[in-house]
Amino acid sequence: MIHSMQWAIIKKDLKVISSDKLILSSLFIVPAFLAGILPAIMLLAFTSSSDAMHDMQALINILPGAAQADNISVFMVSYLINFMMPSFFLMIPLLVSMVFAASSFVGEKEKRTLETLLYCPLPLVKIFQAKILASFFLGMAAAVVSFIVMFLVVGIISTITLGTTILPGLSWLVIMLMLTPAIAIIAITLVVRSSAKAQSVEEAQNRSVILIIPLIAILIAQFSGVISLNIWILLGAGVVFAVIAFVLLSGALSKFTYEKLLK
Amino acid sequence: MQAIHIENLSKRYTSGKLALNKAGLSLGEGEVFGFLGPNGAGKTTTIKLLGGTLLPTEGKCEVFGLNPFEKPEEIHRISGLLTEHAQMYNPLSGYENLIFYGRLFDLSASDSKTRAVELLDLLGLNESKDRKLGAYSTGMRQRLSLARTMIHRPRLLFLDEPTSGLDPENALSVNEIIKEQAKENGTTVFLCTHQLRYAQDVCSSFGLIDDGTLFATGTLEKLRELVQEDVSVMIEASQIPDRIQAERIGERTFDVRVKEEEDIAEIVKQIVSDGGKVYQVSTKILTLEEIYFALLKKHQRGELLL
Ligand SMILES: Nc1ncnc2c1ncn2[C@@H]1O[C@H](COP(=O)(O)OP(=O)(O)OP(=O)(O)O)[C@@H](O)[C@H]1O
Ligand SMILES: [Mg+2]
Repeated sequence: MIHSMQWAIIKKDLKVISSDKLILSSLFIVPAFLAGILPAIMLLAFTSSSDAMHDMQALINILPGAAQADNISVFMVSYLINFMMPSFFLMIPLLVSMVFAASSFVGEKEKRTLETLLYCPLPLVKIFQAKILASFFLGMAAAVVSFIVMFLVVGIISTITLGTTILPGLSWLVIMLMLTPAIAIIAITLVVRSSAKAQSVEEAQNRSVILIIPLIAILIAQFSGVISLNIWILLGAGVVFAVIAFVLLSGALSKFTYEKLLK
Repeated sequence: MQAIHIENLSKRYTSGKLALNKAGLSLGEGEVFGFLGPNGAGKTTTIKLLGGTLLPTEGKCEVFGLNPFEKPEEIHRISGLLTEHAQMYNPLSGYENLIFYGRLFDLSASDSKTRAVELLDLLGLNESKDRKLGAYSTGMRQRLSLARTMIHRPRLLFLDEPTSGLDPENALSVNEIIKEQAKENGTTVFLCTHQLRYAQDVCSSFGLIDDGTLFATGTLEKLRELVQEDVSVMIEASQIPDRIQAERIGERTFDVRVKEEEDIAEIVKQIVSDGGKVYQVSTKILTLEEIYFALLKKHQRGELLL
């Protein structure tokens, strides 16, 4: 299905990116913070001070099952990891694929390599497919690695401080299989759509960074107890995001012409 | 089949600029076509139309029977394009760049490698093949770009200023390579250039364009005829018979106009039979450069009608 010419583009994109120290470090630091340091801090704060638990009272009050839980700390930490962390976690595929897509699409234009690349025996749509796939692979790879790191950190800390090993809940299945790919595709598509207009990588990134706002809004709403996520909400969001991703993607692919791209 | 066939082709940019105005042209396979004209004449625009990366306002064109506006990728498969601004990847070496383009043009991995080595050799880049492109000089980049356009052994080369940024020695060798490609592989070459001396040497036919109008096409001989109807012959002789129309331009040098080169022998015979002595005879043949300027002037004065 993926032609060898498309593989050549994907490999080339990854190779070129891996030589860019600045992008490489940002691709490493963001996931390391969101999936390693942040959960560690949150977990340690929760398990070591009762103030933190007190601050979460509003949340505890609205959570079904919280009052009946045997160990309120374990219950809260599980909730934190399974339903609060996802909003942070989803920024990883979002940012990684966005940064990569911006440099892969707009970067080629900025460095004047796009004109050369487009003059090949692949139709425009196939070239773009390859580039989108490259960004997608990288976003997904970053998410999978981050997932593993995060649950290693969570597992170790929870075993030491709570005496219980907290494992990923069912919600992570939905997150990894639906939300992560959907968000990665949405992020990439927005970059791709702006790539025809944007003249620099920074501009394309700035245009797409707006995507983080809804995630932050959900986080704020969660912390203040306005909403609490559960598996059904996640599943619903997953379906909605997947549909949005599909519509945006097919819309973006059909719109390109050489003339618009090379302007 | 014609390599390139253009009919009534026009391009107006969204800015309103009419960059190409009802151009017509036919090129046979294996020809090296020199496309000449001042800055902003519409040369690059024409190349982009032929490669299908620009859509025309009206008219049609065919490249080896294929329509560039319907299936540009099919044209890309059989042709190579070198433009002024097109770059390759700075973080990759010259060799890696070429291999990537080989793969992109559907060559196998091993074929890409052998072809890359072959071309690096041909263009004298062998020693710097493992250096990152970012560390290449302008001339080296330009030569690597030429190698790139040839990686998939195209039937047709679109070369937009291939010698810009090259020193005279490299420019000469690039021109030799272009000539060789055409001669040995039968590659058709569509060459835009401002270097008329090289063009005269390399090209088999020419097109002159100014301000979007393709106003003259043909071989050097045909273009020469458009400028001068008769051949100017310089004769150095002790005397010249009155019956021969001649203009004295030196103590014993005369400028004689003849219709064709055959007439020269007759004139020399008459001088000698009248008892004159002939010291030197030379015909003055206009160079491409002179023809170019003469035709451009004629066109701009509106004296040239195709
Ligand atoms: N994208 C564009 N939008 C609007 N006008 C353009 C565009 N590209 C070129 N032009 C205009 O079209 C005309 C022809 O440009 P073109 O690049 O084809 O010239 P050229 O013959 O290649 O010149 P040069 O010798 O300088 O390379 C110029 O007046 C140019 O300003
Ligand atoms: Mg040009």
